[in-house]
Amino acid sequence: MPTPRGLRCAWGWAVAIATGQDPALGRSVEAVRRLFAAAACSVALVDDDGETLRFVASDGAGADAIVGVTIPVSRGIAGWAAMSGQPISVRDVQTDARFARDVAESTNYVPSSILAAPMMTTEGEVMGVTSVLDPSVEEASDWTLQVLGTLASQMAMLLAGGHGPSTPSPTEALGRDVLRVVEAWQSGQPGHAGPSGTRAPGAR
Amino acid sequence: MSIEPAWSGAFDRGAIQEVAALPFAQVREWAFGGSTGAGVRVAVIDSGVDAEHPRVGGVVGGVAFHLDAEAERGYVEDEGPHGDLVGHGTACAGIIRSIAPEAEIYSVRVLGANLKGRGALLHAGVEWSVERDMHVANLSLSSKAEAMFGPLHEVADQAYFSGTVLVCAANNLPGPTYPSQYASVISVASRAGSDELALAYNPHPPVEFGARGIDVEVAWADHGSITATGNSFAAPHVTAMVALMRSKHPWLTPLQVKAVLHAASDNSVPGPDS
Repeated sequence: MPTPRGLRCAWGWAVAIATGQDPALGRSVEAVRRLFAAAACSVALVDDDGETLRFVASDGAGADAIVGVTIPVSRGIAGWAAMSGQPISVRDVQTDARFARDVAESTNYVPSSILAAPMMTTEGEVMGVTSVLDPSVEEASDWTLQVLGTLASQMAMLLAGGHGPSTPSPTEALGRDVLRVVEAWQSGQPGHAGPSGTRAPGAR
Repeated sequence: MSIEPAWSGAFDRGAIQEVAALPFAQVREWAFGGSTGAGVRVAVIDSGVDAEHPRVGGVVGGVAFHLDAEAERGYVEDEGPHGDLVGHGTACAGIIRSIAPEAEIYSVRVLGANLKGRGALLHAGVEWSVERDMHVANLSLSSKAEAMFGPLHEVADQAYFSGTVLVCAANNLPGPTYPSQYASVISVASRAGSDELALAYNPHPPVEFGARGIDVEVAWADHGSITATGNSFAAPHVTAMVALMRSKHPWLTPLQVKAVLHAASDNSVPGPDS
């Protein structure tokens, strides 16, 4: 199967990000970290060979040390999300045998919990993974995964489109969708009607 | 772009709407009561299954699909034992085993250490499950590749008409995912709670059922366990319920299985003319 155009595009952009040529993704991971009041947020992209994840952007604890690190796609919670294509939330990752402890320790920050969501190209291939370490969200639901999954998809679109900071429309769209997700999340809190509850009966 | 409805939110935000069910009396006892899943073949289409994991307790058989550019269809299949590369399939199999302890679990490995070609291998795994007459197949994964819409739809219809129930995890990502989007499958999202047999029907499909998937202790790689949240863990609960009912009532078709699940849902009530 040929390498998807979007993935190649993202990889080219990843190189630019890792070498500090473009801060747009860095701003996005900072925004996600702040949204979840988390210790750190990072983005890792799939290498051209489809077998490796390379951390290309990070914000928060251990950020400087993690950028540039590569791991096989079968390792860690990020690898789990990349392989399955499904968002996941794990509590107490330190008891998880698949947790890439050595990678975490190399950054001098070992988290307790992780959220991870795949980033998809427009062709539907896994481009990378967005991870959030130690989010300050205790709600017993998977709404955090819904929020992170949406944001990860938006960042994937940003990368696949090859837009830089001189073309602000995708960033603006990202901001709008972040706001919509947060509003939907807040309106879904107990005592409020959730998104499904706002629809008319029988609506599709 | 639009933001897809939060499928899990339909189940765990305290706003589950009632749905009118067919007048099946004592449907839960009829469907699940006393069943162990004995005699039911369950395919776990995933990253492989660690058969030695204490929560899995062995598998009956399996197959692993690998990409191969030289092969006619772009991949090859290796029947026989194999491990789990990441723990995802083992987690699913452990959930199924806990509910349907005597089900015959088959590991169908379609995820490998390379992310390319996921859609084609997913298709191959479903096709294998249909050809081997699996009673039910668990897919806690999906494809967002538009190119896979047609092929996966076709094989999902084959499964439906040949009696293999496909249970698919919904995906908390914007846009459609396949095959969870198809009417021929049973799509599942997460729901809070500790009851393994809890089930709710969503009156606003395409995602139809909610099952336990929040903070679930699941089997993991290297014989470990973790507490995790995700739709990946909700689907195996429904797969196991299907195994229970097909063990007691082997004649049930996929159409009937879905109707029974609907009637057995916690939010199902008798119709207004019952």
